[in-house]
Amino acid sequence: MVLEVQGLHLGYGPIPVLEGVDLQVEEGEFVSLVGPSGSGKSTLLRAIAGLLTPQRGGIQRACPQEEVGFLFQEDALLPWRTALDNVALGLRIRGWPRERARKEAEAWLERLGLSGLGHRFPHQLSGGQRKRVALAQVLALKPRLLLMDEPFASLDAILRTQVTQDLLSLVEEEGIAVLLVTHDLEEAISLADRVCLLSQGPRARIIQEHRIPFSRPRDPVRVKADPRFGLYLQSLWQELKEASRCAVT
Amino acid sequence: MRRNLGLMALLILWEALSALGLLNPLYAPPPSQVLLTLMGLFREGEIWPHLQATFTAALLGLGTGILLGGILGLLAAFSPLVADLLEPVMLLLNAIPRVILAPLFVIWLGIGLASKVALSLVLVAVLIFFAVYSGVKQVDPRLVERIRTLGGGRYWLLREVYLPSITAWVLSSLKVAVGFAFTGAVVGEFVAASRGLGYLLSFAQSTYNARLSLALIALIVAFVLLLFFLFNRLEAKLLRWRGQTSPTPG
Repeated sequence: MVLEVQGLHLGYGPIPVLEGVDLQVEEGEFVSLVGPSGSGKSTLLRAIAGLLTPQRGGIQRACPQEEVGFLFQEDALLPWRTALDNVALGLRIRGWPRERARKEAEAWLERLGLSGLGHRFPHQLSGGQRKRVALAQVLALKPRLLLMDEPFASLDAILRTQVTQDLLSLVEEEGIAVLLVTHDLEEAISLADRVCLLSQGPRARIIQEHRIPFSRPRDPVRVKADPRFGLYLQSLWQELKEASRCAVT
Repeated sequence: MRRNLGLMALLILWEALSALGLLNPLYAPPPSQVLLTLMGLFREGEIWPHLQATFTAALLGLGTGILLGGILGLLAAFSPLVADLLEPVMLLLNAIPRVILAPLFVIWLGIGLASKVALSLVLVAVLIFFAVYSGVKQVDPRLVERIRTLGGGRYWLLREVYLPSITAWVLSSLKVAVGFAFTGAVVGEFVAASRGLGYLLSFAQSTYNARLSLALIALIVAFVLLLFFLFNRLEAKLLRWRGQTSPTPG
């Protein structure tokens, strides 16, 4: 197990946003986290990333903080650094000498289909290219666990599909465990081995879990043609609707 | 290009009106006369000590002002205590026309170089203080978080996020600062001095010499434009990452 969250309580005021959250992620497993908006998905992810401290309960990671990668919703590349230096940044922080870090960064840019664009500044790249740079920056650090918060929400549908496909094959190749927060149920099912549903907040917790038994390596586009896909989607959609309704009444 | 044409047209019109006798040369001497006066000043060499005095004061004021404003800005940005102590003073200094301090500096520091440097310094330091202070305050929090999640501590934050962000803000205010530095030096010389362009200007005024006044104004404009050009080059080189659209800090 690479991550285990047990009885997590977390809140900013008197009423906790999260109450009694239990969640496990196995080595190399892809887990999607869905839930009504305002359920505290992002809060949970930030707590796991170590950016927020829980009031109660524990977060146990089988890997040290350095082996956890985090991908933001909006890309946060340094505007004054080239694509190459942005990718090399994480390695430099880890104490790699400049030339070695650059060489490694170059290799990652190539793997993400950005060879020859290393000298460009972020403003000279397209939205999709910037996402790929951000992805290369995180993957270059060889994480064992990758936390993602709607990382591709800002991309249009076609780009989003392409980047997601590339991400999935890289994650499968490297055997990285992933915890993905998304509001897109199709994305959640097509990528993951397991989908967890968070209830409506405040006092949100995980109320449902579904195993998605599609084989790996997997093509997230082809998987949607599988007849079982529709069934999963339908039942998840039903549960999400109920979870949202509970909170209203 | 078109803007330069406008200036050229104005000068030609001016020259023509003078040649036609429509302008009184005592008040508005034609550009050719002004140019001759200017060349005369250089030929006779009497301008050099004045130029040297003003430049020394302006550049010393600029350098020390940037240094002092930068250090205070950094301290205020990272220490709430310093910010609480400094911000009201700086806001006050920012609100008043700081040249009114000139007579006071003459009383304190005498009519020599020091009082001019002090005035330049105050003009520049307040400007740079706010540039650095807001440079730090306006740092994109996502970048800070990014460095943190990549495992970077204070050193990396300063090096990769704060310093580049501050540099951008300071460079944008630098051109204004150059103008301020010269304002400080020249106004200081107006008030009381024995040398300098400001001293010459006030001499020209007391002798009703519009031609000399205009020649000196042209000279100062030329030097400030030269410095603007140099800073533009520096800015273009250091802020390559910005591309065409440059954010305009307030």
